[in-house]
Amino acid sequence: MTKPIALPHTAPFAPEQIAALDKVIGGASAVQRAWLSGFLAGLDAAEGKAPPATAAGPKPKLLILYATESGNSEALATRARQDAAKLGFAAQVQDMADADVQTLKSAGTIIAIVSTWGDGEPPQRAAPFFRALMGDAAPRLEGVKFAVLALGDSSYAQFCESGRQVDARLEALGAVRTGPCLELDLDYEPAAKSWLSETLGHLAPKDAGSVIHVDFQKPVPAASKTAPFPAEITAHGKLTSERAQAETYHVEFSLAGSGLSYEPGDALAIMPTNDPALVAQVLRATGQEQDTALAENLTKNYDISTLTARQMKDYAGLTGDTALTALAEDAEKRTEFMAGRQIIDLLETFPHQLEASNLTALLRPLAPRYYSIASSQKLVGEEAHLTIARLAYHSAGRARLGVASGQVADRLRTGDHAPVLIRANPHFRLPAEAQTPVVMIGAGTGVAPYRGFLQELEATAAGNDTWLIFGHRNFLYDFLYQLEIQDWLKSGVLGRLDLATSRDQPEKRYVQHILWEQRRHLRARLDDGANIYLCGDAKHMAHDVDATLMRILADGKGQDAGQAALDALISAGRYKKDVY
Amino acid sequence: MTEKLSHNEAIKTNSRLLRGTLAEGLEAVATGAISEDDQQLIKFHGIYLQDDRDLRPERAKRKLDKAYSFMARLRVPGGVLSSAQYLAMDRLADERGNNTLRLTTRQSIQFHGVIKTNLRPALRQIDSVLLDTIAACGDVNRNVMCTPNEFASPVHAQALRTAEAISTHLLPRSGAWREIFINDEQITQALEEEPIYGATYLPRKFKIAIAVPPQNDVDVFAHDLCYIAILENNTLVGYNVVVGGGMGATHGDATTYPLVGSVIGFCSADDAVAVAQAVVTTQRDFGNRSNRRRARLKYTIEDRGLEWFRNEVNARLAKPLAPAREYHFTGNGDAMGWHTSPDGLHHLTLFIENGRVADVGNWRLKSALKAIAAQDVSFIITPNQNIIIARASTAAREIIEATLASHGVALRASALREAAMACVALPTCALALTESERYLPSLVTRLDSMLGEHGLAEQPITLRMTGCPNGCARPYIAEIGLVGRNPGKYNLHLGGAHDGSRIAKLHREDADEATILGILAPMFADYAKHRQPAERFGDFVLRHGLV
Repeated sequence: MTKPIALPHTAPFAPEQIAALDKVIGGASAVQRAWLSGFLAGLDAAEGKAPPATAAGPKPKLLILYATESGNSEALATRARQDAAKLGFAAQVQDMADADVQTLKSAGTIIAIVSTWGDGEPPQRAAPFFRALMGDAAPRLEGVKFAVLALGDSSYAQFCESGRQVDARLEALGAVRTGPCLELDLDYEPAAKSWLSETLGHLAPKDAGSVIHVDFQKPVPAASKTAPFPAEITAHGKLTSERAQAETYHVEFSLAGSGLSYEPGDALAIMPTNDPALVAQVLRATGQEQDTALAENLTKNYDISTLTARQMKDYAGLTGDTALTALAEDAEKRTEFMAGRQIIDLLETFPHQLEASNLTALLRPLAPRYYSIASSQKLVGEEAHLTIARLAYHSAGRARLGVASGQVADRLRTGDHAPVLIRANPHFRLPAEAQTPVVMIGAGTGVAPYRGFLQELEATAAGNDTWLIFGHRNFLYDFLYQLEIQDWLKSGVLGRLDLATSRDQPEKRYVQHILWEQRRHLRARLDDGANIYLCGDAKHMAHDVDATLMRILADGKGQDAGQAALDALISAGRYKKDVY
Repeated sequence: MTEKLSHNEAIKTNSRLLRGTLAEGLEAVATGAISEDDQQLIKFHGIYLQDDRDLRPERAKRKLDKAYSFMARLRVPGGVLSSAQYLAMDRLADERGNNTLRLTTRQSIQFHGVIKTNLRPALRQIDSVLLDTIAACGDVNRNVMCTPNEFASPVHAQALRTAEAISTHLLPRSGAWREIFINDEQITQALEEEPIYGATYLPRKFKIAIAVPPQNDVDVFAHDLCYIAILENNTLVGYNVVVGGGMGATHGDATTYPLVGSVIGFCSADDAVAVAQAVVTTQRDFGNRSNRRRARLKYTIEDRGLEWFRNEVNARLAKPLAPAREYHFTGNGDAMGWHTSPDGLHHLTLFIENGRVADVGNWRLKSALKAIAAQDVSFIITPNQNIIIARASTAAREIIEATLASHGVALRASALREAAMACVALPTCALALTESERYLPSLVTRLDSMLGEHGLAEQPITLRMTGCPNGCARPYIAEIGLVGRNPGKYNLHLGGAHDGSRIAKLHREDADEATILGILAPMFADYAKHRQPAERFGDFVLRHGLV
């Protein structure tokens, strides 16, 4: 009855190992296979190893629902999600302020973390959800399991009242309570953490993480540039404060089933689509408002932003517009016109009706946008995280929006899909040796690959000495991944942090100022064989950092000595850049 | 008698005279906060750690820590600043703070929104103009208040000298402030002596004020220790001594309550400092160090009796207190508007709503004061969070008026608004249970229109609001006091005396705006109809049994 079994070629073994395993497993009986599977599973479980990240079967759903005023419940919920993910749940965190009561029906298991505000009131933003939950239209919740953690302030009479209400109401709606509601006062943290780990442990699927589910039937397609993988966005949120002058987003893509894998330092490309509003403007300018096929084509396939000299000449030739021809042929005036302008400005300044084919012939193909990946697969499994700054500015009298960053920030949400592919960046990798110190310099979204590095070092416990020099505008509003960086400092994964914030004080401070102030420390790290990494803005930051490094390396011996020392570092592969 | 000491006592004991791990905490760049114990210690240096509570909902979701920043408060006895000092503070607010200055109910200036990396630079800027923030908070004597204005009268000047002498005498001797914030270097020599406080300082905060009658602007019945100036033939001969007032209470704890102070005797002007030391050391030795809610001087006196206290203080004095003298107060507001002193100089008490100096749209108070500071004038912060622009020549007076007008700043406001006071509360104060400073102005507008309907627009009624029961705006002695309890809800206290000498009664708990207006509307109507000549609203509601 035994089917011949062969390991897929993507299995994490060498070809000769696959052949050897095929030989054993292929001939094994069902009993033998079951024994082997249990043995391996038990072995890892006994050693308490974290489950390896692989293509998994459907995971049990867990909804971690919170209602917060001060952020305490939310912090607990975030923490619970991490713990739950390690235990094999498909865990989702949701703020009651954003939740729909109807979705509770299909939640599977609910952990509700509920704060009480003032005298027995729910947190203000969660009030609509509360009303819906308590109301007649609330759904029946048969088949749903739940547990409630209630936070409150015992100096109020109605201590933990909101949590109590949620606990009673979920039961009344038919959901099954898996344990008593725990009510905690201002000193909630230790008890809350142990309650969460107990509750999660109790709810965890028994085989979670200890058995590898592999689908032997489907060949795994590897995404390519011609066929990017449609990745689902599994998390999407802003990292910067509402008070920040610019917006940066954290976006998590699922690579499950894609066959894609990456190393920290690699990039993920998004195949963007154009802003429908801009597409409509282009169609209007060319008299093609009715052509829906063209609209679709422009949205997905053509660059309708960047303006080139070639396009100005082509458009002049195509239309025979004499004024435009004069402009396009005069290099100086042409350059002046192009400054801060895009295709739409050309089409509107010199309006002509265009055939669809003529318009597309004028345009360049829409190119993928590459972002340094901000995660490590050793920690996040089949996900890739990106840190994306929303590019928005005014030029030539018009508001402009980055093609991909605008799409990600404004139009994509959790649950949407975007075509992605991986670009390896083998020159921007962590050192192979654990004794090599790692000096990471970055500004703004330049911190992204370092989040990947630090996740990797957290997962591997390689123990490299690490130093992050991170620049942003305002400490309070733009400190990307602040809480995670704090955790890495506490755990020692990150050895040292220096911040340069440019707008917090009268004088501008950038990463190169830190480098100069800490030059003795930097030299000491270099003496220990450190690799220096630089990520972020190519135009200003990279230039200023190079100049400062040269000054430091020259050590008073003049510019040439500094340049030579810097070149030596680069050719030894010890100064690595990912600038854009 | 050996109740467990409060945790703050251990923090003080182990702090090496207020140092703790503050210097190390300031170097930890990943967080805007400092350790919990250091948060208690830094208060002794005039600084609180706060976080922007408006931003709390967004923070953890965005992987951001709470929006922590520091509030730093000046020690400036009697609130007197030179124009150079004022200008430095104006610049400090822009460079290191949140672009506003907050005048306080203790005649000080607070700076909000000073992030960790800006704290040392901010304090160095303060130090550079010979000011400091030492002991502006914490379990020590805080900023000493004094009825202004020293430039208008020799008696007020003499009272201010007393305030300054007390402030200096009771200043902690620890060098921690300078060492941690100014010089940024560890000391290696032995710790200083604290001859008055000892290594554990006081059980709780300690507040001192001096009033020069007939003004009770400092609210002499609302502090731990107060002095009422006694004048004979226009000379200051000494002070009546008032002890055991205090506003703070805790919701739901019946063992805590606001109290007005009691007059226990008279001392000569020369003995004022010695009396301060005797009162402070009595509280140091007998105050409750186990329960911080009951650690203020008012409870020490409540628990042991006023006679015991008087005897204990007298035992510590070379010359015991004499019997108290007669005094008379007319009110606890400021003397608003322009006044001219016999030397021909002009002094403007400028109304500043809730003490907030800022530029908002066309109302550009902060820029106006900055421009005025170019004149040869002095600035005095009043006990009601207003500012006196003092010593103006007649030419300067014209420039000041023109400057205020061109910056959209009115000199005066309605009688109620001028007599209204709110604490800071949300978003920066960690204790706030609801709004205060950001809400009171709109409530005043509504009450003003009600008063207007009854022809009471000119009638000053003290109205004070706090966002929590700790009482920074001294709400419990107002004629109308509103003490925050829940979001949008206040305990309404009525019947305080217009001169601040009587505690108001709790009339309604948890009142929202509609309830407050609903209660006050018929009272205003009754008051308009039935009041006796010159009868104050607080007296009226008591006499008519309305509360």
